[in-house]
Amino acid sequence: METKLLTEFYHLDEFRTLAGYKKHGGYETLKKALKMQPQQITDEVKASGLRGRGGAGFPTGMKWGFLPKNNEPRYLLCNADEGEPGTFKDRLMMERAPHQLIEGMIISGYAIGSKKGYIYIRGEYFYPISVVQEALKEAYAAGLLGKNIMGSGLDFDLDVYSGAGAYICGEETGMISSLEGLKGQPKLKPPFPAVQGYLRKPTIVNNVETLAAVVPIIKDGAAAYKKFGTEKSAGTKLFSLSGNVVRPGNYEVNLAYPLKDLIYGLGGGMRPGRKLKAVIPGGSSAPVLTAEEAERATMDYECLAGMGSMLGSGAVIVIDDSQCMVDMLGVLTHFYHHESCGQCTPCREGTGWLNKVVHSILEGRGRLQDIELLLKVADNMKGRTICALSDAAALPVLSFVTKFRDEFEFYVREGRSKVRGVRHAEMHH
Amino acid sequence: MFQLSTEGLQKVKSELTRYEDKMSAIIPALAIAQKENKGWVTDEVVQHLSQVMDIPTSRINEVFKFYTMFNQKPVGKFHVQVCTNISCALNNSRELADHLCKELKIGFDQITEDGKYTISRVECLGSCGTAPMMQVNETYHENLTPESAMNILRGLR
Amino acid sequence: MPKCTINGKEVEVKDGTTIIEAMYGKDGEWPEGKVAHYCWHPGLSVAGVCRLCMVEIEGNPRLQIACNTMVTEGMKINNTSEKVKDAAKWGLDFHLINHPLDCPICDQAGECGLQDQYMEFGKYNPEMAEKKVKKHKVVDLGPTVVLDTERCILCSRCVRFTDEVSKTNELGIFNRGDRSEIGTFDGVPLDNKYSLNTVDICPVGALTSKDFRFRQRVWYLKDAETVCNGCSTGCNVKVYFNREGFFRVKPAYNPDVNGYWMCDEGRDLYKFVNRENRWLKAKKRTYNGIEEMMPGAAAKDASFAVKSLGDSVALVLTGQYSVEEYESIVSTFANDLKSKRIYHWISNPEKANDFDGLLLRGDKNPNTKGLQQVLQKHGVNTNWADLLSAISSGAIQTVVVAGPENQAVYADMKDKIRDLSKAKNLIWLQTGRNHDLEALTGNVWLIPMKSYVEKDGTFVNHAGLAQKFKKTTTVVSEALTLTEASDLLAGKQLVIKPETNVFVESEKPADRVTVEHRKKNEFVFRRGTL
Repeated sequence: METKLLTEFYHLDEFRTLAGYKKHGGYETLKKALKMQPQQITDEVKASGLRGRGGAGFPTGMKWGFLPKNNEPRYLLCNADEGEPGTFKDRLMMERAPHQLIEGMIISGYAIGSKKGYIYIRGEYFYPISVVQEALKEAYAAGLLGKNIMGSGLDFDLDVYSGAGAYICGEETGMISSLEGLKGQPKLKPPFPAVQGYLRKPTIVNNVETLAAVVPIIKDGAAAYKKFGTEKSAGTKLFSLSGNVVRPGNYEVNLAYPLKDLIYGLGGGMRPGRKLKAVIPGGSSAPVLTAEEAERATMDYECLAGMGSMLGSGAVIVIDDSQCMVDMLGVLTHFYHHESCGQCTPCREGTGWLNKVVHSILEGRGRLQDIELLLKVADNMKGRTICALSDAAALPVLSFVTKFRDEFEFYVREGRSKVRGVRHAEMHH
Repeated sequence: MFQLSTEGLQKVKSELTRYEDKMSAIIPALAIAQKENKGWVTDEVVQHLSQVMDIPTSRINEVFKFYTMFNQKPVGKFHVQVCTNISCALNNSRELADHLCKELKIGFDQITEDGKYTISRVECLGSCGTAPMMQVNETYHENLTPESAMNILRGLR
Repeated sequence: MPKCTINGKEVEVKDGTTIIEAMYGKDGEWPEGKVAHYCWHPGLSVAGVCRLCMVEIEGNPRLQIACNTMVTEGMKINNTSEKVKDAAKWGLDFHLINHPLDCPICDQAGECGLQDQYMEFGKYNPEMAEKKVKKHKVVDLGPTVVLDTERCILCSRCVRFTDEVSKTNELGIFNRGDRSEIGTFDGVPLDNKYSLNTVDICPVGALTSKDFRFRQRVWYLKDAETVCNGCSTGCNVKVYFNREGFFRVKPAYNPDVNGYWMCDEGRDLYKFVNRENRWLKAKKRTYNGIEEMMPGAAAKDASFAVKSLGDSVALVLTGQYSVEEYESIVSTFANDLKSKRIYHWISNPEKANDFDGLLLRGDKNPNTKGLQQVLQKHGVNTNWADLLSAISSGAIQTVVVAGPENQAVYADMKDKIRDLSKAKNLIWLQTGRNHDLEALTGNVWLIPMKSYVEKDGTFVNHAGLAQKFKKTTTVVSEALTLTEASDLLAGKQLVIKPETNVFVESEKPADRVTVEHRKKNEFVFRRGTL
């Protein structure tokens, strides 16, 4: 069963217009928020236990608390880069409910004392960009953005910035670099963005879903939000289900929802004649779960972390027994190799190395020591770089090779896939 | 020598003052210039933008070569980008891409003789639930089969 | 002033010091605590991209980079543990997997960061069995620098240099991931007055100097510190030489004068010191032709035209000699020869106060101030017009000229030679050859001088800072210093001591592999055993 806290009216076409949004309670929460003190809003968000919905899962209220308590101008940046493979929830939110995001941003901007915000949308999302721009126009025209919002004295400006095709711009400082007009390369931390971010000013970067979630939290209060989920994983989340399932799509459920219910219930289960083999629970950077682990897993931060994986962006990628794990790993290593920004050496060289070794195996040229080599290289890419792309590239390699080692060993020994029976090159060329 | 049209120049000039720092206008300017240069960016384009925006060529060149959406080689009128990342690959998108290439009789990143199509394999486009899918210029086409994809391509004008 | 412990040793540092600065010291001294690094440079901003300077901080399970971590009170830092060594080894491994095996043809061999760190942390069996990434080689970046992008480790030092120091923005890093390449935009070459500094700071052989390329292996070169004689800034430099002569010039760190850099013009000055550009023997022109003789003999020979002629002898000085030499020759002329006709040859006075904001100054003499100080001390106050009129009137019979060492910056050389050769006797003291002088007729003595690198001395720069320099080596052993020449010309009895110190360390001639002079190489920790 879905818990449609955010997505209740997404099925209505009119919900994306200002009029349609207002018809279903839109901007009432903003009215309420403007009567509160900014610190009250931050406290409410803290109390709700809301954690970043983009992938890192950092407690949002705590992040806002890192801002300096002075009059320095600060920025609120919405990260709508959505590049994590398997994730497509932010796109849904922007296409169906741009005003929900805008309302969430105005409230958040008010809470943190920001007067300017940007929505950084990935360049390929031409349609969502146009929808959001249209919504911004409506909001400005109705006095919901700009100077003296709703007569409250609050000034807040919002604009859209279009990316140009780089996964690394989903990293918060990579996004800031891109917004500043540089290459989208992440910056050294410290200093953290809350202290020195966009143009060296205090900056808060939050995901689309996180900012939209501020609306129900302020509307019904933190306690109501905490009714969903667990103590450490409060609220609801949109999970993007894809891969080998009958009904892929975005589903909003309470956190701690059982993964098997998501796949077999809402997702419609496996295609006829197929069995579940593996699940990547939180976007391609999350370590893969075996079918047996997937049976036991609940979709919350603690459970998945305890299993050695992570909730991440909540992109659930389902792999059935018709797929070759070596082949799928090759798809992922190609992705990380293509997307590494190239700044730090372990990631720049390591992603290339991993990709070459996996493709060597796929082409039938694998050596027995290559399997240990993959594990060693990936292990030494973790925790050594400016940003987490290196870890994100290493984790799939480590989890795939460890949990499905038999397939890798078969491929190296026999020069062909255990599952498909043929070599990668014959599989699709 | 590449020159922006009056309209394009106007757009670039407005981008220069739209954001907090004029450097942020590089990405929008390159996008505008690429549209006016038949879908790709050349050294002349970078040179022209450097003059118009008063930004060193090395900075614009860095941004140009960093992002995937700026093409370093010419592309056909319809740039067909098929996602081949994991969720789409699980739904046979790579076979779909191969099929399109075979039908149009070109290899990846090449242009058909009539200049109409280029097929590229790209990374995740955020449409995993409707896999396999492709992006043609600015439009997403989702829930494809090899036949439906070819029909879409043949219908493009 | 937080106190921290580095490898067990307590160190007190200023607020805002990073760990790597605490270990290296801001002035480039390298005490015992050393950290492997490539992208950090004390004269540039922090990039933190090579990921080699990992250190272990007590209380933190993750290794941190030393270049971006501030020292806090009581921090316990350690970079000798196995964990750190392993991280450094893998950091180096990642640098090497796509690095081409160019050592046999690479200029940087012998002073290469990768080689040096491999001897320290490496010595492992490489496991990379795939094809290496191929990139552009022998890229012509500009008039002075050649780029090899395969060797480049993308430390971004050169890019930061052109952004922050020379502020010319020619260099950038293009493309993503392991396809990244350093480069310039076509049509905007790396061509500024400080381009060759990028070759110095490049830890590997990616950027090489066109001038030095393939000319000498660095282990056959000795180096010695001295002061540049190109302009009145007086940058501290290191000259590299062996028995065959001088090969190149690099900057030496001096926080008060030039920081970490020097200009490109100064790097060419070694060419004027090598034998092929020098007078090796003195030349005396008589009505019978040219007679060659030893410099000391020529000076003695010419002394009849100088001593006891009092006021009819004039001395012309350029600002390119040391303070000690000026003191000696001016006092000889003023006190012994009783001649106050001492003139200061200023070659382009209108440019004297030019300054480009970084290092280059318009006054192309290293010791103008020193000369002015000595002249002032002896109460000499003359102007050039008097000299010319006195020569034409015959009041001046003999002119002794201390010519410029660096003739290229003296645009008025031809004119001055023409003017001064109108005197009855002309004694020209100079280091380098000059065709116009050699073609003169009349009573002319051309006496070879020692270059400033062949003697001890002091230069006073534009700001009045007196910098002492020591002799680096000898190139033309028979040449005279200005002091010796002036003594001989004045008729003093002088015994020229035979040169015993032909090389700085005579028991270790430069063309054998020596170890000690490579100590100050940035990436070497200790000379490893092979």
